[in-house]
Order: sequence, then C-alpha cells, then structure tokens
Amino acid sequence: MIDFGFGVNTARAINMDTNDLDTAREIFDRLPDLQTCIACGSCTATCTAGAITSFNFRKVHTLVRRGEYGEAYAEMSKCMLCGKCRLVCPRGINTRGVVMLIKKKLGDY
Amino acid sequence: MNFNSPFALPFSIGCVVMFAVIAYKYVRWLYIMPDSDKRQIKANIFSRRTWQAVGECVTESLLHRRIFRVNPVLGYMHMSLAFGWFLLIATGFVETVAYMGWTPVPLRGHVFFKYYSREMPHTEMWQMVFTQVMDALLLFVLSGVALAWCKRVYSKMMGMRRTTRHVWGDRIALTALWCIFPARLLAESTTAALWHNGGFLTGTVGSLLASSLSVEALLRMENAVWLFYALALGVFFCAMPFSRYMHIFTEVPLIFLRRWGVTSDDRPKSFDHFQLEACSRCGICIDPCQLQRDAGINNVQGVYFLRDRRYNMLSAEVADTCLMCGRCSERCPVGLDINKLRQNSRYSLHNSPSFRRYDYLRGVDSSVGSGKVGYFAGCMTLLSPRIMLAMEKIFDSAGEQVWWADRNGGVCCGRPLKLAGEIDAAREMMRQNTALFVKHGITTLVTSCPICLKVFREDYNLPGIEILHHSEYIARLLDEGRLKVKCNQTEYTYHDPCELGRGCGVYEPPRQVIQSVGQLLEPEETRNHALCCGSSIANTTISDGAQLRIAESLGRSLEATGAQSIVTACPLCKKAVKRGTKLPVYDLAEVVADNLTAQSPQSE
Amino acid sequence: MKVTVIGGGVAGIQTALALKGLGLKPVIIEKEDTLGGKLRGWHKLFPTMTPVGEVLEPLLRELREQNIPIMASTEVLGIETDGVITSHGKVESRATVVCSGFDLFDATLKEEYGYGIYDNVITSADLERMMNNGKVALVDGTQPRRIAFLHCVGSRDEKVQQRHCSKVCCVTGVKQAIEMRRWFPQSEIYNFYMDIRMFGSGYEEMYRSAQQEHGIQFIRGRISEAAPVPGGKVQIKAEDTLIGRPLKMTVDMLILLIGMTAGCSNSHWAECAGLEQSDSHFMRPLNVFEGNVRSALPNVFYAGTVTAPKTIGESLNEANAVAFRVAEYLKGL
Repeated sequence: MIDFGFGVNTARAINMDTNDLDTAREIFDRLPDLQTCIACGSCTATCTAGAITSFNFRKVHTLVRRGEYGEAYAEMSKCMLCGKCRLVCPRGINTRGVVMLIKKKLGDY
Repeated sequence: MNFNSPFALPFSIGCVVMFAVIAYKYVRWLYIMPDSDKRQIKANIFSRRTWQAVGECVTESLLHRRIFRVNPVLGYMHMSLAFGWFLLIATGFVETVAYMGWTPVPLRGHVFFKYYSREMPHTEMWQMVFTQVMDALLLFVLSGVALAWCKRVYSKMMGMRRTTRHVWGDRIALTALWCIFPARLLAESTTAALWHNGGFLTGTVGSLLASSLSVEALLRMENAVWLFYALALGVFFCAMPFSRYMHIFTEVPLIFLRRWGVTSDDRPKSFDHFQLEACSRCGICIDPCQLQRDAGINNVQGVYFLRDRRYNMLSAEVADTCLMCGRCSERCPVGLDINKLRQNSRYSLHNSPSFRRYDYLRGVDSSVGSGKVGYFAGCMTLLSPRIMLAMEKIFDSAGEQVWWADRNGGVCCGRPLKLAGEIDAAREMMRQNTALFVKHGITTLVTSCPICLKVFREDYNLPGIEILHHSEYIARLLDEGRLKVKCNQTEYTYHDPCELGRGCGVYEPPRQVIQSVGQLLEPEETRNHALCCGSSIANTTISDGAQLRIAESLGRSLEATGAQSIVTACPLCKKAVKRGTKLPVYDLAEVVADNLTAQSPQSE
Repeated sequence: MKVTVIGGGVAGIQTALALKGLGLKPVIIEKEDTLGGKLRGWHKLFPTMTPVGEVLEPLLRELREQNIPIMASTEVLGIETDGVITSHGKVESRATVVCSGFDLFDATLKEEYGYGIYDNVITSADLERMMNNGKVALVDGTQPRRIAFLHCVGSRDEKVQQRHCSKVCCVTGVKQAIEMRRWFPQSEIYNFYMDIRMFGSGYEEMYRSAQQEHGIQFIRGRISEAAPVPGGKVQIKAEDTLIGRPLKMTVDMLILLIGMTAGCSNSHWAECAGLEQSDSHFMRPLNVFEGNVRSALPNVFYAGTVTAPKTIGESLNEANAVAFRVAEYLKGL
C-alpha cells in the first residue's frame, strides 16, 4: 500500500476546511472533464503501470481533487503515459492530460 | 558619377542593419553548433550534395516548385516575388556594369540606377533592351504583389481556405514590401516623365504623369518618390531579420545544411534556429491541420508554433496541442521538420530526470512462449482482442514459433512519454524492453502497433533483431507462400495510420495484403496525405469531443469510397475510426485471419 | 376517427387498446411479422418475476377481441399530416402515435469485453433467450460455477456515444443474478457496478434480497477488459474501487447488461417528418412534463421507449396517456 503521508498522530479526515483547494480548482479549470469522473475504476484496472506497481490513477487524482497533494507528483510520475486509460474511460476524460497537468501543477509538493 | 544623393540614406541604413543582424545570427548559430553537426558539414561540403543544394536553392528559394504543386497561382505569386526580385537585382547589376564598366559602384548605385543614370545618353539599342527588360521584370514582380493583395482578400483563389494571422513585425515588413515595387514604379516613371528614359511600363506611366503635371511639379515630386522608394526598402530591410522575411535568406543555409546531413533532434540544438527562421509563414500548413478543420483550434498550427517558438513566446498549450500527424510537414514548401521541432520544444517544457520513477520496471517479465520471432502487441492492442486472436491464428497457420512479449501485460514502448517530451523517462522503458528482447534471444520483432514500431526503429538499439510491423510480416508470409488466403470480392478501404505511413514510410505492405484478400478502394486523401484518426498518442490536450469530431470527419471520407468495410493497421486508429463510422472497422490481421484457407503448407 | 400507431410492442398495443376504448379507430403498423416487440425475447419481468406471457398474452388477446387492424411486416416510409406512407401503400389517419421503441446496444462495439469473440461472454438479452429456451449453460454444455455481471455496457459511455443511463439494466442485473442463483444454487455470482440505481417501487427491496437472501456479491468497479483463459473461461480485470486496488478474476460466464439505444428508425422519423432528436438520438418530446407524449408536430405523438429508456410499466402508462392526448387533439379539430 502507498503511504499517503498520514501518521498515527495526524487527523485521518480529509479536511476540506483547511486543505488548499486552489490548485485543484486550477486543474479543473484547465480540464473540466475531470469533474465528470464516476470513479468506475476502468483506468486503474487497465493501467499498464498499475499492473506492476501500486500506482492508482483514480485514487491519486481523487486525492488531488480533495486538496490532498502529498505524493501526488511522485505517484503520477510512475505513469507511462501509454493511454490505455483514456481509451477505456467511459466519461471520455483526457486522462493523459490529467497526468501531465498534475505533474506540472504539483511538481513543488 | 555622384552617388551621394540624400534620399538613398534610408536604403543604406537598412542594408547595414539587415546584413549585420543576419551575419550575427548565422555566425552565432554556426558557432554554437554541436561538433557532430560540424563534422557532418566537413564530411559533406566537398561532395555532390553541395551541388544538389545549389539546385534545390534555385528550384525552391527562387522558383518555389513545391508551392506550385500545392496551387499554381500561389506558386506563381511566390515565384514572381522571389525570382522576379532576384532577376531585377541581377539584371540591374548587369545593366550598371554595362553602363559603367567595372568601376566600383556602391550598392545604392545599382538599385537606384535609373535615377543616377537619368542624365546619361539613352539612345543605344542595348540600352533600350535593358530598359524594356527591367520594365518587364518590374511588371512580373508587380503581378506577384497584386496577387498577394488578392490573397489577403480572397485566399480561396489560391486554394487556401485560411491564411496566416500575422504579428506586428510581420505587418510592418509586409506593408513595406507591398510599397516597394509600386514605389519603384512611381519613382522610375517620374524620372522617365522628366528624362524620357522609360520603357513600356515606366515610360507609359511617365507620359501619363507628364501630361497631367507641370515640369516643376514633377521635379519636386521626383526626389520625394525616390525617397519614398528608398524608405520602403530601408524599412523592409530593417524589419526583415526580425520578421518572417528572414526566410528569404535563411532558406539557403537551411538547404545546404540539410543536404549535408544536419537535422534537428529530440533535444533542441542550433540547427533548429535555421528551421525556425526559414519559415515564411506562408500558412500552407494551416489547411491540412485537422485540429483547425474539425476541432476549431486555430492557434497551434505549424506556422504559429514556429512563430511562437522563434519569438520565445511558446506556451505549453501550443506546443502540446498537436496530433503530430505530420500532414503539415508533407505540405511545407520549405520542408521543415515541424514534428521534430515540436518534439524538442516539448522536451524543453516537460522533460524531468527519471530519478527512480521507474524502478518498479526492473525485472518485469510476463512474457510467454518461446521462439525466434517475438510479438510485441503494444498496450493498445491489448484492448483489441480481435487483433491478438487474429495474430495468433496467423502465427499458427504459418507454423511460426512465437515468443509473446506482453500478452499478459508488459511495459510501454516509451514512445508516448517521448512524444510528451519526457525523453529521460522514456529511456527507462526502452532500456527495460531492450533487455527483455535480448534476454529472450529473438531475431525478429513483430508489432501490431505503429507507435511501438516507430520507437523500436528510431530509438531502440536492437542489433541482430529485425523489426517488422505486422503488415510487413504478413505481406512477407504471403509472399513466401507460408500463408494461404482466399481472395473475395469484398471492397475494403484502407486508412493509413500516421505513425505507420508518414511515420515509418510503410505504405505498400498493408495494401498488398488487402489486395490479396479483396478489393482496395483509396480515399481521396491517402498515403502521405492521409487523415489522422484524431486519437493520436502525441496529443495530451484535446477533449474527447474534439477527437470524436476528427474521427467522424475521417469516417465520412472513408465511407465516401463506397467500400463495405474499413481496414487499418493500428489498434488505436481502429478504435478511433470505429467511433466515427457505422461501417465495420477491421485491423489488417483480422481480415487476413478471416480469409485464411484451412490448410497452409506448414500445418499440412 | 382513424389513428395510426407505429410499432406493435407493448407501448403500441396498449396505445391501440386505449384509443379503441376512447371510441377511435387505431391501426397498428408493425415492421416484423408478429406483435410483442422486444418483450417476446424476455423471460421474466422485474421486480415481481412475472413471466412475460402474463403481461403480453392478455394484451394480444384483447387486441384480437377488439378487432384492431394490424399491418404486420410493414415498413413506415413517411409520416405526413394526413396519414402514413408504408411499404404497403398509404394509411390515411388524423393522428399518428410513434411507438417504435428502442434497439439493444450492440455489445461487439465494446471489443475489450470479447463479446462475439470469446465463448462464454453473453449479453443480458442472450441470457433471457437461454432461460426462455429452458437451458442455461456454458458453450460446452456444463454449468457455470462463477458468474459475473457487468452493468452499464453501452450506457453512460462516451466511447460508444451512449451518454444516457438506460435505467432498466441495474434492476435487470439484480433480477438476472437472482435467477442465476436459482438456476445454479452452488455458483458464485458477482455484479460489477458503478452506481446501482433502484428507482422503482420494489426495486430496492429486490436489491437487498439479492444481497441478503441470494448471496449475490456486488463489486464496485467497471470491468476494463476480458481475456480468454484456456478451458473457455474468461479473465476479467477491474478495480475494486472501494478498496482502491486492481482486481483480477477468472469467471466461467460473463454477462454484459446491455443498454437501450435509440431506435434505428429515429433518424428516419427526424428526416421524413422534421421531428427532433435528443443528444442520445431518442426522439425529443415537446417537453418532459405535460407534453411528454407529444411531439413538436400537433398530429404526431409518442409513447414508450421511442423517447427514452423506460420500464414496461412506464410504457403502458404512456400508452394510456397518449390515447387521452390524441382524443383531446382530435376533438379540437
């Protein structure tokens, strides 16, 4: 399992009151399709990288959407950009664009 | 003779600025050129290639042969301006020499010779001939200027639905350029009105002027119009190195360097400058662009990308929004490698060191089977089981022992990351797959995916392994009689995948294969001009809706052939095309597998 | 006064009966040689497991008793203000009710699921047919021990241009899972879903009983692809999205719950009569409130799945509603 940075002493809840949601908003502005994700998991199921390592595209972008940016860059960097996820996404989300954008926006985290 | 008339000053300043800037640019670019390119130049400079470059300079820089092929009127327009102006300068020079002998004459003396020679006797036959020829050449160039005006108003006349939207520098240079030749006509005509040294054009306009103006007025006007002419030239020359007209000179070194074997690379380098500044922004690349045609995206086409990059205002969006289908480069009259330039722009924008991002790849091997022939399906093929099964049937039928590299999942070939500019990361994938191929000792590598094919051929170092697309492999099996198929009357049309056709130059094998099982109908835009399916892996920006619109447009063009089914040779194209048509869409392997005759020699 | 009813499925039959009850003269035009439409291919109906015959037979009997004229094996070529042009000549009428229904989604378009490629990948419609024939089995005749249903095949899917929710597949999946449990009490049954939309009366209860009494397992995740495994089995890949990890499973039978797509004749109606279609190519009613069975043309009406995916009950309701609207319109002439 991936350690998303939660220790025993930190609160477990995703705190939407304190999380910085600006970056998430910027990502939405650029790729509004991402909002349409129904979390079906097709992307993760078909993922070339996800078959070998613990990379979970759906989970990472969902965390980003909630303002949980820790490790998002490192995780997205595991993506091979092969494009299978884009081919299976029933919502027609530009998944490869999402990967590129998250890497660009969250490179500093 | 006194060449010190003050009106020529703007011209002289313009010349100095222009030549200084150009010399600075070229010297700098050549100086920073990597040693490998310099060696390339040294190796080829005294070879036949240099003469070929001279020939190409004449046919392209002057005559604009490639533009003629796009549209004859457009070709004439470019030729009359380039070749006409060149002849005007050359003949003007000869004329000066004829009048003055080999005495040194400053540049302005040649250009404004009509003015300076106005007091010289003008009675000899050869002098008359020069005057008439110079008038004819002026008319030739003016016809080009007139067409350029028309093109602004009605570009369809020249087969262009859209023309380039220009930046400020271009507009200044363009305005000056459009003034130069009418100004020259006016200046020479005014002088002709006063001194009667005009030909059929300047003489006629001159007598018109003389009939309506007094001699005093003409005398006052003469200096003004010559100043105007010199100003137009001066402004143009000053703006030239900073505008699109830099291509006029830059195309020449570009042609030579290219002939000597210098090319752009996956990473930016000095030669890119020559390519960038050799773009004349003619806009011929705009019409073929499907992002413009079908998706309404108007600011990313080759011309705009090159312009933005040249002026250091390239945004990631412009660099990334491109299918890299290569249709623009096919049409580019300067033969610019737009895809390579875009590729290395993306490298500058997106490449990040691979660190340990792909450590998880190490040792991954889920291959099955064994054999000298390896089959690499490619990620996309894994989502198209019909292709996988068809290939299995074909291998079985031909009695081939096959090692399946990625049937149970594999590692991406690396091309998608490379196309996105992440070359360091892509190298990790290439390393991993190379190790896998070497480990299993294959001698032939067959892939169904043109994206993989291109990267295997261009970026992998696989000595002793022949790399084939399944279309080439199947065509070979058919040739060798190892596969037997029945031919029926089905009419197929074939969609050339970008990476296979323009990308790898594989046009014939898929056609041969189709013709061995049925009839082939070609769509209107085919082979190197074939349309893109819109789902290109090179693009990470356009929406699903835009992809769909491009696919539908392609679907319509394929349906227009009247064929019963569509065949392509790329799993990604297959999926994309299917979204845009009601006709059945098959991969090449499927139509072969469906038409295999029960017994082939090996299995008997 | 004469009214043409295009289509002889449940909506068309009930429309004709209701029109007749209001003293009008309906005529049914059906392109196939028998009436009953898609319902004929079904086995039992949710949520009550009512055998199809119990719904369809009384309707057909009533139709015969009422002597309603039926033009079977007849294609409609055009809709006009004074009647309908058919392949057997013109039928004059004052109003037309279009009940031409829907088409089943063609599952071969989702190639990655292997329908039409692998042996034991079937659709929900195939399963109904098997149950009607009294034999549910794998291709080799044996019993499936592990069965997976996949929801939303050809629904909510941009990739096949089917944006809409087909509405009935969720509950059909639950119904069929329960039926499969009855056929094969020892089997493991999994439903792969994205959202379970139990909107109708008794549906949620049925869902609960599937979980509680029939031991059907629901896994939240869409299958991304299926691959063949020796022995006629299929390996499916999905993400268990509630856990957040990819999941692989080898099943004996994969059943695709195919959605409803707009009837193939819809574009023809749009073309020949100038009627409007929605984004998903279903016919667009005048509005979805009191105009839900009217078209933009005063003399053309709709009932049933021609305008959107609907259940049998909803189609029957619309049939009654449309008869009332037609009568109202004819009275005003």
